[in-house]
Amino acid sequence: MKSIKGRDMKSLVEDTTKITLVDFSASWCGPCQMVHPVLEALSAEMAEQVSFYKIDVDESQEEAQAMGVRGVPTMIVFHGGREIDRQVGFREKADLKRILENLADRHLNPGKA
Amino acid sequence: MSAALYAARYGISHLVLESWQPGGQAALTSLIENYPGVPSVSGAKLAGLMKSQAVEAGASFVTETALLASASDEGFLVATDSGSHHHAKTLIIATGAAPAKLGVPGEDRYIGRGVSFCATCDAPFYRDKRVVVVGGGDSAVKEALHLADVARSLVLVHRRDALRAEPRLARRLVENPSCTVKWSSTLSAVTGDDHGVTGVDLNTPRGMEHLETDGVFLYVGTRPATEPFANLVELDERGAVLTRNIVETSVPGVFAAGDVTANAFRQVVTAASDGARAAWAAFEYLEDRRQS
Repeated sequence: MKSIKGRDMKSLVEDTTKITLVDFSASWCGPCQMVHPVLEALSAEMAEQVSFYKIDVDESQEEAQAMGVRGVPTMIVFHGGREIDRQVGFREKADLKRILENLADRHLNPGKA
Repeated sequence: MSAALYAARYGISHLVLESWQPGGQAALTSLIENYPGVPSVSGAKLAGLMKSQAVEAGASFVTETALLASASDEGFLVATDSGSHHHAKTLIIATGAAPAKLGVPGEDRYIGRGVSFCATCDAPFYRDKRVVVVGGGDSAVKEALHLADVARSLVLVHRRDALRAEPRLARRLVENPSCTVKWSSTLSAVTGDDHGVTGVDLNTPRGMEHLETDGVFLYVGTRPATEPFANLVELDERGAVLTRNIVETSVPGVFAAGDVTANAFRQVVTAASDGARAAWAAFEYLEDRRQS
């Protein structure tokens, strides 16, 4: 999972070939540290469908505020530049994987019922 | 964590299934001031220290979440989210508890947009803002004091006319000039706009009241994490594991420790004590079976 600055987010989330998860987190937040290995594991398992990026809210305060982030970790999922889902707080790996699989299914294979 | 430490020191062949985070609820506590021998420490720091001590003693941790536990011919079988099945002669359930929700309108909609269950995580977003904290126990008051350091104003909403928290903490809150308490009041709705929370509706002794706020922190009890064990051991109406002699569940060979139990007093020190007892009880159980 790559760390990015808030200002670089806009172009990265435009991708339509994959969905993009952006994790807004902070070094001082316990659940962020817990969710980090979950996202690392998923980024290896789901590389073909999902891109994973991390933004430190202390370094990118303006962008976090613009995205309406009022707690960490906040994981926002984008497709083609549009927000398609938002998860706040720690998520178990199995839950998060299921959520991302459903989103990928719906947005990357829209023809499939 | 303490069950792992003691199991390792007793030389029990064991495996700790850890669901990603060391320390659970305690790791989210801003400041722990009542753990003997450690005057003042953050929950995350204390959890980290406990884990390294257990690992040092020989405890084996794997990052897997238990999905279903059942009885088997050899004892017990635990299926996990990695697809593994672990066999064991004895089990210690120490899965803890997660924050409970109120179940009021607006709560779910604004989670992460003004509704929070973790002051240590989200306090920095409320610098010079107005916040409401709901609850009256140790967690509510402790985290309210943590929030009061950064927020412009803080209102604690409590359904009773006295705080349940440790008197020392309760006094600190009541005497804090930026904190006010709405006694005998409950939160009936969270209101907001597209950007997030803007207020709360309260049921007070003087009737309905609307309070403008930027954030709502909920400390209204916990939900024990017992789904994987629901068909194995007896639970109370809240879903907590019923125990005798503190750590013995309804099934011989299955023990429980900490916030997952129905025991009334839930502190880091009592959880640590439960863990030690549970490991000892498991050791005795294995010895009895070996000799019989």
